[in-house]
Amino acid sequence: MIKNFISFLCKASPFLAVIILWRLQLHFWNPGGVLALIPIFYYSFVRPVPWFAPFSILFCFLIDYSCDTKLFWTTMYFIAYAVNGFQYFIDVQRADKNALVPFMIFFGLSLVILMIINLSWVMIFRCICMFLWACAIYIPITGLMKKVHGDD
Amino acid sequence: MNQNKLSSRAIKLLKSAAAAAAVPCVFIYILVSKPDFYLLNALGHVVVPVAHTVGNIVTWPIRAVGESVTNIYDLSHLRAENERLQRELDAARADKNTCTVAIEENKRLSNELDIVHATPQNVIMADVVHDTVALHHSNFLINKGVFDGIKRGMVVTSVDGVMAGMVVDVGGEFSRVRALNDADSNIAVRIAGDEVYGFLSGDGSNTAEIGFFSRPEFKATRGMTVITSNISGVLPNGILVGTMKNNHEVKVLQTDSISRVKVLEFNTNNEYK
Repeated sequence: MIKNFISFLCKASPFLAVIILWRLQLHFWNPGGVLALIPIFYYSFVRPVPWFAPFSILFCFLIDYSCDTKLFWTTMYFIAYAVNGFQYFIDVQRADKNALVPFMIFFGLSLVILMIINLSWVMIFRCICMFLWACAIYIPITGLMKKVHGDD
Repeated sequence: MNQNKLSSRAIKLLKSAAAAAAVPCVFIYILVSKPDFYLLNALGHVVVPVAHTVGNIVTWPIRAVGESVTNIYDLSHLRAENERLQRELDAARADKNTCTVAIEENKRLSNELDIVHATPQNVIMADVVHDTVALHHSNFLINKGVFDGIKRGMVVTSVDGVMAGMVVDVGGEFSRVRALNDADSNIAVRIAGDEVYGFLSGDGSNTAEIGFFSRPEFKATRGMTVITSNISGVLPNGILVGTMKNNHEVKVLQTDSISRVKVLEFNTNNEYK
């Protein structure tokens, strides 16, 4: 019974991680639940999980709704998904540090576009802080996810 | 084995092609449905409450611990807060008599000058259930929606009458309010006690800005009161917006400081976009 429950939790953990990180929004540390993009990226591109892509699209839409960014993150996800599927240069699944560099490119590029659309000193400061914080927390979160699935 | 590999590769390419095809569709949708985004908002009205309910269930242990810590912190500061509130109450009592006289004088002057102050046709009380400050945006959700008579463009104020924002999207049982410091917010304002007009816009920071005044030689100073103006025909005249922080920045209500709001309906000429 307990084994079954633990196995269910392990299977549900990608989805739970996204829900938890999206719901626990905090003004500076997790604005609009954008940190949910970490498990979204990880389970979509680094360690793909069946049926995770539609779920990711849904939560990108929810992040957009929270942030009032009009399908921005959803579009960025579509682009990343398409680019990842078509390219052969970077093997995201075997990249170092749980694919930190590809995540930095995806997240950093998105923030730069957002920054250019609404250029101001406050926005530049917030985007830099957000980028550094998300990259810093990427390794522990993905490390935890690896442990949950016994990938170490 | 090779066939399997080939078919999985083909499926991956097919999925990627679908994702790539979705991008122009999204762009076309954004261009076509601007600025109302009816389909997007309609989808939000269904998905957001469900996701919030699921999120609340999944995260309740974490939030319970967080709330306990907040409660302990609040309790430990209760005495100091009580002393501060006592001081503020004494100061408010001292101001009250002056205010009563000023209100009566204002009424008399308004009657003499035939100034008509807008009174709301409908007032709805609501609780703030969720607030988001994300990069350049600042908005919050309230627990009243279309079933309670809330419409897009209604004015939202704090309980003490300070403007908090405008309703930008209405769901069945919730509404989304755009705060004044949101980068998309732009409202007509006036300096109280003067015929100087301007437009107040947010940039995602804690303050909102007035870019220019209707009278170029006018120099705003710290402490001046800013109220809404009906020059654009969207807002009524005379709702308190905030106070000038310097010559262009206005200190406005922060979303995290509001827990209960009044939603006001006015008979204005133009629709809020």
